[in-house]
Amino acid sequence: MTRLSTRFAARVMGLLFLGGVMSAQHVSAQVPVDGCVTCHAGLTQSELSSPVSAFRTDVHSERGFRCVDCHGGDPTTQDKARAKDPARGYRGKPRGAQIVTTCARCHSDAGLMRTFAPAQRVDQAAEYATSAHGIRLATGDQNVATCASCHHAHGIRRVKDARAPVFPTNVAALCASCHSDPQHMKGYTSSGGASIPTSQRDDYEKSVHFTALTRQNDLSAPTCNDCHGNHGAAPPGVDAVSNVCGTCHAVFAAKFATSAHSQIFDRACVECHSNHAVLTTSDEMIGTSKDTLCWTCHEAADDAGFVGAGRMRTSIESLKTALAANSDLIARARNAGMEVSDEELALAEVRTKLTQARTEIHTFDPAAVDQVVNEGLKALTAVELAGNQALADLQYRRRGLFISLVAILLVVVGLFLKIRELNLRRQ
Amino acid sequence: MARIIDWVDDRLNLSDVRHFIAEKGVPIHTQKIWYYLGGMTLFLFLVQVASGILLLLYYRPSADEAYESVQFIVTQVEFGWLIRNIHSWSANLLILAVFAHLFSVFFLKAYRKPRELTWITGVLLLFVMLGFGFSGYLLPWNELAFFATKVGTGIAGAVPIIGGPLMRFLRGGDDVTGATLSRFYALHIAILPAITTLLVAAHLLFVQRQGMSVPIPIAQRLKRGERLRQMPFFPDYILRDVLLWYVAVALLAALAAFYPWELGRKADAFAPVPPGIRPEWYFLAMFHTLKLLPSHILGIEGEVVGVVGFGLAAVALLLVPFLDQRAAREEPSPLFTALGIGGLVYFVVLTIIGHLAS
Repeated sequence: MTRLSTRFAARVMGLLFLGGVMSAQHVSAQVPVDGCVTCHAGLTQSELSSPVSAFRTDVHSERGFRCVDCHGGDPTTQDKARAKDPARGYRGKPRGAQIVTTCARCHSDAGLMRTFAPAQRVDQAAEYATSAHGIRLATGDQNVATCASCHHAHGIRRVKDARAPVFPTNVAALCASCHSDPQHMKGYTSSGGASIPTSQRDDYEKSVHFTALTRQNDLSAPTCNDCHGNHGAAPPGVDAVSNVCGTCHAVFAAKFATSAHSQIFDRACVECHSNHAVLTTSDEMIGTSKDTLCWTCHEAADDAGFVGAGRMRTSIESLKTALAANSDLIARARNAGMEVSDEELALAEVRTKLTQARTEIHTFDPAAVDQVVNEGLKALTAVELAGNQALADLQYRRRGLFISLVAILLVVVGLFLKIRELNLRRQ
Repeated sequence: MARIIDWVDDRLNLSDVRHFIAEKGVPIHTQKIWYYLGGMTLFLFLVQVASGILLLLYYRPSADEAYESVQFIVTQVEFGWLIRNIHSWSANLLILAVFAHLFSVFFLKAYRKPRELTWITGVLLLFVMLGFGFSGYLLPWNELAFFATKVGTGIAGAVPIIGGPLMRFLRGGDDVTGATLSRFYALHIAILPAITTLLVAAHLLFVQRQGMSVPIPIAQRLKRGERLRQMPFFPDYILRDVLLWYVAVALLAALAAFYPWELGRKADAFAPVPPGIRPEWYFLAMFHTLKLLPSHILGIEGEVVGVVGFGLAAVALLLVPFLDQRAAREEPSPLFTALGIGGLVYFVVLTIIGHLAS
């Protein structure tokens, strides 16, 4: 028994040992020792060791890229001098324009990119060269953003990764890391010579776009790069503003393009809606009172713009008032149990009309607004008729019920008297 | 009138019928009020038949037209709203009356020998009425009914072994579609009415043949030779029945006028499930029980355990006359009274909790 146990244990140990050796051989065959990692991982200076840990989760690391692919040198040796010998291709830490060149070696190579990310664009470097950052970099400004400024150097994540600094919800903070820093932005001016403000992030965070993106998790809502471009980042030119806004707000842009204001407004949409702090719109923006936007330019009562603004506001308000009254009417009928689903559908269509009327304001043509409003009012007339009819029907039913109950009560009393009479007769 | 009766009598010899009517009596005792529930149930069922036939004149049983046809009935058809509301309210009152009738018979032990078959046909009628309620709920093809039917038929899928085929049979496919509506329509207006006709006929025949049951203590007194006063069925008892039916009609009319049955939105299979999906009140206790059960009980899915439990309870309910041997010997059976109270409390409490929870 003892001999058998010993023999069995020896066999097990033998198998385990053999398995261990084989698996070790397998690993060494698959992953060759990387001298860069071996040395840098053990360094005490954080700036020299942290790239090793950051690169472990880097998208390039996942695809088999190693330090040598960007930095050059000889990773097969652990001798520092040999490893970092320029004769062995060592390029060191890229800086400024070198960063763009380093990234572009692969990312501008359509053939190479096709083997890793076939759908990815390969014109980032060309776009970057046209950006405000790229243009300044070309003049020797080393403070401007390059690829690594936004994507990081070693812990690069995919754009779709919510942890990536370039993920939509993180972009504003990323851009603000430079653009909200007065010290960093000191000395930079716009093409007109004015200093570049540092309040964009604060303004943006007040906007409907920021709310939609971060509060309502609508990743299609715009952040900095959606209006300024990402690799080709630059402020949109004055002429381009309506085009930029129009990429999402196409109908508004088309209406605005037909308006007289398209020739007058220097900053197109921004004139009324601002640029970074695009606030929730309201009907109070138009009209003739001093707190409206129209009044800013059209303050004289005999001004055609003043008259038109007043007419558009009145028109919109008339539809809103009628819509609210009829919504209340139909709600009362529905709460009383009447069938008014057709009228509710009509109310939904009128709400769409109200939205359309607000869209028509961008033509700045009161007649166009009136036309849509009148269509809505016409539909509401039918709704009002049906709603009142429903309430009248309800009253009719209740009167009918009362009469029926009286008749039933008479029969019940008659039956009761008959039953009593029968009882008396039986007794 | 007398001449017409004589004319019919000459040809059909109605003397037996007249004799039966003249002789038929209803026992008078302190519990006789419960006898009216049977007549009330029958009356509400006849209201359902009459209002259902009127609805059939306009209802169109297809997924494309069902909702619109009900909408047409309640908005365009003269008194269509009244017919539809009475049909909906009467359905609920009918099931309430069936439950009340069942519990009253249970507590009076009226199921005991020799009325076992009357009890069995009555319990089967309860199941059929629940089938009417379940199938009729879907017919307006509105959002709530659509999703509630999806949940309800899904529960049928939890029945062991035959669950999958049963669910597909009920739905007419893998999901609730227009095919389900066609099936439920056929079930509601043809299959269940046919079964009901047979069961009601048998139930009434048994009642007429055996007369009214009396509670066990009164039966014991009768055995000892005491006499029990009888009320003539015609016209004394039937007049009281008719009086109560008039009250029911008044109640139905008031409910129809003040609490019209909402039609809701048309069913849309692609719409998100609306909040507040729940079955009709009479399924709520079972539905909520299934919700309260843990996901697994002794390694078996909780829903399966629940469905099997309800199935066994239904079988036990059918077999009550054979299980309650003390009642069969005309002896008090407190155990079954306690079980009945437990069942009633469970049904009421779970229904209220289910209602509040949703």
